[in-house]
Amino acid sequence: MSAQAAFRGKVEARGVVAGYDTAHHVLRGVSLVAQPGRVTVVLGPNGAGKSTVLRVLSGLLPPAQGTVLLDGEDITAVPPHHRLRLGIAFLPQGRSVFPELTVHENLELGGWIFGADRARLRRALDATYGRYPQLAAWRQKLAGSLSGGQQRLVEIARLLVADPRVLLVDEPGAGLAPGIATQVYEELAALCREGRTVLLVDQNVQAALALANYVYTLESGRNQLSGTPADFDVASLVRGWLRVPAGPGGAP
Amino acid sequence: MVLLLQAVADGVLLGLLYTVMAVGLSLTLGVLGIVNVAHGTFVVLGSFFALGALRVLGWDPLVSVVAALPVFFLAGAVVDRVLIRRVARAPQLLGLLVLFGVMVAVESAAILLWTTDTRVITVPYTNRALHLGAITLSEVRLIAGGIALLLVVLLHAGLRLTRFGKAIRAMAQNRDVAMVLGIDVGWLSMVVFGLGTATAGAGGVVLGMVFPFDPQTQIQWLSWAFLVVLFGGLGGVGNTLAGGLTVGVIQALASVLLPFRYVFLVLYGLLAAILIVKGQGLAAVRTRRI
Repeated sequence: MSAQAAFRGKVEARGVVAGYDTAHHVLRGVSLVAQPGRVTVVLGPNGAGKSTVLRVLSGLLPPAQGTVLLDGEDITAVPPHHRLRLGIAFLPQGRSVFPELTVHENLELGGWIFGADRARLRRALDATYGRYPQLAAWRQKLAGSLSGGQQRLVEIARLLVADPRVLLVDEPGAGLAPGIATQVYEELAALCREGRTVLLVDQNVQAALALANYVYTLESGRNQLSGTPADFDVASLVRGWLRVPAGPGGAP
Repeated sequence: MVLLLQAVADGVLLGLLYTVMAVGLSLTLGVLGIVNVAHGTFVVLGSFFALGALRVLGWDPLVSVVAALPVFFLAGAVVDRVLIRRVARAPQLLGLLVLFGVMVAVESAAILLWTTDTRVITVPYTNRALHLGAITLSEVRLIAGGIALLLVVLLHAGLRLTRFGKAIRAMAQNRDVAMVLGIDVGWLSMVVFGLGTATAGAGGVVLGMVFPFDPQTQIQWLSWAFLVVLFGGLGGVGNTLAGGLTVGVIQALASVLLPFRYVFLVLYGLLAAILIVKGQGLAAVRTRRI
């Protein structure tokens, strides 16, 4: 969207230890870097800590140890409601529209950080309706009354109202029809081409790898592998997570 | 027939008072998930506020109700900052215990200060009546009901139409998402608790215009407020209004049709029936939001 998204937005986690109770940490020293203009994907089996990484980066879960950096600046202590002001937006797993608000009200809240600057909000909303014209027809509908795919579009549109440079995205295709999920992944690729940083967590290994510029895998809350998609053999990766031995002759 | 019409009119006015008294409880429960058992103490403090303002400053309760809003908003904001915030991430039971402590402390302080003597607020229009055909309406109840309706409408409009109202409703529906959109939910929670307490205080002023009170009346108002919330659910201010009017009209009709001692039996019997049908009690209303 804007020029600001072009070159900045490098997000980094360094030695992050975090969890939902002090006795049991889900992440046990995770480090990763997501670069602007690239899709960085985090993969791993259930319980590896993929979603927890995004909760730490979004500020919803303060780490017990480690740091979070944005363009080299330590933002670990920045509260979640200030992170969008820094340009970091988070699309959580599952349905996240406000179901009892209209689509337009949902989008308006996407521009909450503009405060009382109504003109700026109006411009941002016009740009959002311009980018996703189908939203105009649903403007006054309750967001909860839309289909899963339509709700996901509202969530993505709401995410973009504030024109963030970093997008943290958790399982964007989950629960959607395959055709709709493909559109969602295409849109993420387009957002990346605009120069935004996209950090994607996904169970859909094939779809995520097709989109990825760089991949991290986690296992039991620790870094496992990292590299470009070409470095990974999807079948053996998934087999490893599922503890399934290779077929005869190494065939999947 | 006239008797029934009279009862319905009385019940509607009564229901409006119950609504403004309960709407804060509904708000804090629906948005914040807090079962504010100290709500009744703020209602009674509102009545004492009106009494003190009348005696010391000569303020009519119509003035006190306006003054009560910022005073009680501030009191609620302080309770939120000092106590509620500390237990915000703890299990709901801990918050309940903290607010139970507030209830006991405030009631005890009120008894020390004002004793348990029953008080009434007497203003020039206390005993005046308005005749509309065969129906007679108490002027003080009409005024109190009118103020209550105005407050409820203002709160409803504020939640529906303003930016902050929409943010409050968003926070009620998904707190984490509200946070990552830049909404300071800690600050907004304080505002919501302040609003709940402000309406409790203002509700106390209007109830004090109509009913006698003492510090221990808070338990009665707390139970009525829960009754209204359970009848109406937490779908919004409109639900609380429906709950308040239902309780008011049922109470007024039962008073006409049955000996007084059966009124509570009818109300609580109906409540029991609703809870049996819903099956979950407060948990059932918790799933619906402002």
